[in-house]
Amino acid sequence: MTAPPTPPALAERVLRAAIRDPEWREAVSGDLCEEFDDIARRYGLPAARRWYWRQAVGLGARFVAGRVVPRAAPQRWQVRDRDLEPRASWTAFRDIAYAWRAIAHRPGVSFVIVATLALVLAANATVFNLVDALYLRPFRFPGVDRLVVVASAADNGAETDYNSVAPADFRDWQRESTTMSLLAAAAFWDPNMSGVDEPEQVPGFLVSPAFFRAIGAEPLIGRTFLDSETIPGSHRRVVVSHGLWARRFGSDPRLVGRTIRFDGEPYEVVGIMPPGLALPYGAQAWAPLAYTEEQWAERGRGGLLVIGRVADGQTVGSARAEMTSIVGRQRHEHPETNAQRDLTLASFTRALADGYAAPLLAIWQAAAFLLLVIACANIANLLLARGAERHQEFAVRMALGAGRWRVARQLLFEGALLTFAALVVTVPLAMAGAEATRRGMPPGLHRWVPGIDFIRFDPSSLAVMAGLGAVATLVFSWLPALQASGAAVSQSLRDGGRTIAAGRSRGWLGTGLVVGQVALAVCLVAGAGLVLGGIDKAVNGALGFDKQHVLTAEMRLDGPAYQEPEQRRQFVERVFDRLRGMPAVERLAASSSLPYSPGGGLLSRPIYPEGLDLTEAEARPARLHRITPDYFDVLRMPIVEGRRFTEADRPGAPSVAIVSRNFGERYWPGESAVGRRFRTAPDGPWLEIVGVAGDIVQDMLLAREWPAFYTPAAQEPTFATAFGIRTGSDPLAVSGELRRAISAVDPDLPLLQLRSLEQVVAERAGGIAHLARLLGVMGAVALLLALMGVYSLMAYAAARRTQEFGVRMALGATRWQVVRLSLRQAAVLTGLGLVAGAVLAAALNRVMSSTLFGLVSFDAAAIAVMTLAIGATALVAGWLPARRAADLDPTVALRME
Amino acid sequence: MAKTPYLGEFEYAVMLAVIRLGDEAYGVPIRELIEARTGRPVARGALYTGLERLEIKGCLRSRMGDPMPERGGRARRYFTATPLGLRALRSTHAALSNLSKGLEAILEQP
Repeated sequence: MTAPPTPPALAERVLRAAIRDPEWREAVSGDLCEEFDDIARRYGLPAARRWYWRQAVGLGARFVAGRVVPRAAPQRWQVRDRDLEPRASWTAFRDIAYAWRAIAHRPGVSFVIVATLALVLAANATVFNLVDALYLRPFRFPGVDRLVVVASAADNGAETDYNSVAPADFRDWQRESTTMSLLAAAAFWDPNMSGVDEPEQVPGFLVSPAFFRAIGAEPLIGRTFLDSETIPGSHRRVVVSHGLWARRFGSDPRLVGRTIRFDGEPYEVVGIMPPGLALPYGAQAWAPLAYTEEQWAERGRGGLLVIGRVADGQTVGSARAEMTSIVGRQRHEHPETNAQRDLTLASFTRALADGYAAPLLAIWQAAAFLLLVIACANIANLLLARGAERHQEFAVRMALGAGRWRVARQLLFEGALLTFAALVVTVPLAMAGAEATRRGMPPGLHRWVPGIDFIRFDPSSLAVMAGLGAVATLVFSWLPALQASGAAVSQSLRDGGRTIAAGRSRGWLGTGLVVGQVALAVCLVAGAGLVLGGIDKAVNGALGFDKQHVLTAEMRLDGPAYQEPEQRRQFVERVFDRLRGMPAVERLAASSSLPYSPGGGLLSRPIYPEGLDLTEAEARPARLHRITPDYFDVLRMPIVEGRRFTEADRPGAPSVAIVSRNFGERYWPGESAVGRRFRTAPDGPWLEIVGVAGDIVQDMLLAREWPAFYTPAAQEPTFATAFGIRTGSDPLAVSGELRRAISAVDPDLPLLQLRSLEQVVAERAGGIAHLARLLGVMGAVALLLALMGVYSLMAYAAARRTQEFGVRMALGATRWQVVRLSLRQAAVLTGLGLVAGAVLAAALNRVMSSTLFGLVSFDAAAIAVMTLAIGATALVAGWLPARRAADLDPTVALRME
Repeated sequence: MAKTPYLGEFEYAVMLAVIRLGDEAYGVPIRELIEARTGRPVARGALYTGLERLEIKGCLRSRMGDPMPERGGRARRYFTATPLGLRALRSTHAALSNLSKGLEAILEQP
């Protein structure tokens, strides 16, 4: 014998299972093991094994009995103590114990319920954290709720541009307002930083000294601006962000007092902001807003963002009332400039949060909530099925004197325990969800979508989840509880559980729940599919231009070297000269902006066509691109009528424009636009239309094919300049040449972005595509849940009818006839669900196409395809259990209980 | 102060065995000792129940030893008498010997 003999493993397991006290379990099994050796040596192994079995069973029975029959004297005091407790809490405690036992008794079902709930609650928490970060609280500094953004703009149908206040208007407000303790102005200023190892364009703002006080920002090192620094000449001071300081200056505290060159001029660094401050719009550098008296007197146009702090004792409402009257008076005092202007006063958060996010987030939140409803229906269905099986248990308890409320309460406790377990699992899931969402955000979005850094699991969302969980518990426990407490006691006991399952309540409730589930799942899947399809179209669909093989580079020609238009024009020419003739470069163009580009060169102008006498309020804006002649060739856009620009369209030549096809159709429907004239100000110079270009998608979030017009860049060279190079192969292979060409012409100029047009398009859609995937995941989960619902209901129905199937088959029915019986029920269920779901989905589609601008269009065919696909899978889910029931041997089926 | 419990016959035997075994008092030798000295079989279940009851009464105290390979890696549960247990043993013994006093002639017949 090599290894020592060991006791029979099964017997040992029986023994260990019987003894609950761990010390006793160890001592007893150890003692037996010790004796087993001895006995095996003396009487042989088989005898020892028999002996061990006898001992295990005997001892086990004794320990189990000791547990069931309370031991006498020594424990009595405990019992008496419990009796003294208030009765209600004692029974509640016991109900929880019962509930726990019921849950532990069916680990499979309980696991499914907890997993479903956890998944769905985690989805809700993730979306909630997203909404909280991007919409509810994208700015988190003290006093943000007292800040407002004020603007007065002509109402011309476009969205309010908050960065549009004229300097003279702002001066009036500052002087006259009493409801606001301070008013600060800020203007876009994206300077080129040079004199460092690599030039770079820095997102920045020119701000009045009150700005930092308004947002309550204290510098980490140094100071902010003095009032005296707003006087032109002494304004070359800069405050830099913590990020810029760390990234470009190695967090050197001696940076304060040194000078940095911005747009070629020396600025003294006076302060460094603490980490996380990047207001407004991701600013990394701030300089004083130093207008001359002449500039301050400008009332016709402006680009100021005005931030006000509502004074203590005042409300946003009183501030709005006061500002309305001030803006009204300005209308009368300066009719020539202010006649069309209306006040817009919004909270700081609403004005500066990403406007596009709100409708998307609302859809996401609604989807997450729908998912929760589906999950509740699913769980209620599972519990209903279980409740039907447990009818006898409840009947016995009620016969023994338990009230209906006691029985119902136990089910509620079961639900609460399940929800609690799910909540525990939800927390890490929600953390991972928020983390993945934040990580997936493309970095380019950070400037325009504030709050991205706040997308993380917030403990407060735990409270929201607990609330949702509590509601869910009530919903999914209430139905089975209602059913259980309504059970007819004597009936249930007599029936012996044989027919009770066919009770009508279960039938109605279960069917209704499954129909609702299928409907909502169709709705969710269709919604997710439409958004994903829309994004795919915006990235890969017909854009009106060819994004392949184009290298883009965006920059700003700022600083003293580019003040004259001719200087800017020559810069572009010189870069072209260096690139022309390179084998990889096919076509070259420059423009104020490229499609899908979020850059600073985005222009739009109100259109006053000749012959139509439009007021400022009536004139609708169109996109403007100032382009070099080859622009349409680089983007491969068709010229459908007239001519393109040539080298002859130079300064001094007649002002000409090319318009998009829909531009022409808007003003001259059915007629040719070529030869017509329009202007961009009521008294501006006329532009003659010489050609019509194809429509393009300017930006996925704007209405598709926004009207646009093009003017020759040579006639008015812009500061913002985007190069586009069409190449024969990989566009990024040319990036080195472009970089060298630009630095050879001017080594101080930074390139803002150097990407292929394909990348530009994909990155622009990146954030929303990322969010759309989240919606896709939710749709998939919803579908899975609904299929589970169909499956479980059909499995339940089939199990219930197994006997009936047996009878039918014994009497000669074929298997297919039996399956068809079940399948018909499944088909009716899913059919009802699909019809309801398709109607809901169509309604949702309408809502989405109106809120998501051009992204989602109404697509009945897509909805129909998705509905049919879901219907087919649901039928399969219903067919599986039916087939299984029909596969049973009739004699077996007949004997089934 | 807790009332001194009265020991039943089997408990009396178990207490005596525990004291006699000293540091080696755990399930197996306790049972063997009682069987050997009394000549009667002792059911293991009865022994464990008795030990547990004595511990609950406060007459015995137990501690777990170290895991041992010959026991499949499990520890022994060693028992020692508590002061209360010793008092109970003495009073039970005294009560029995008081009763038997003067009956030696009958009791000690072969």
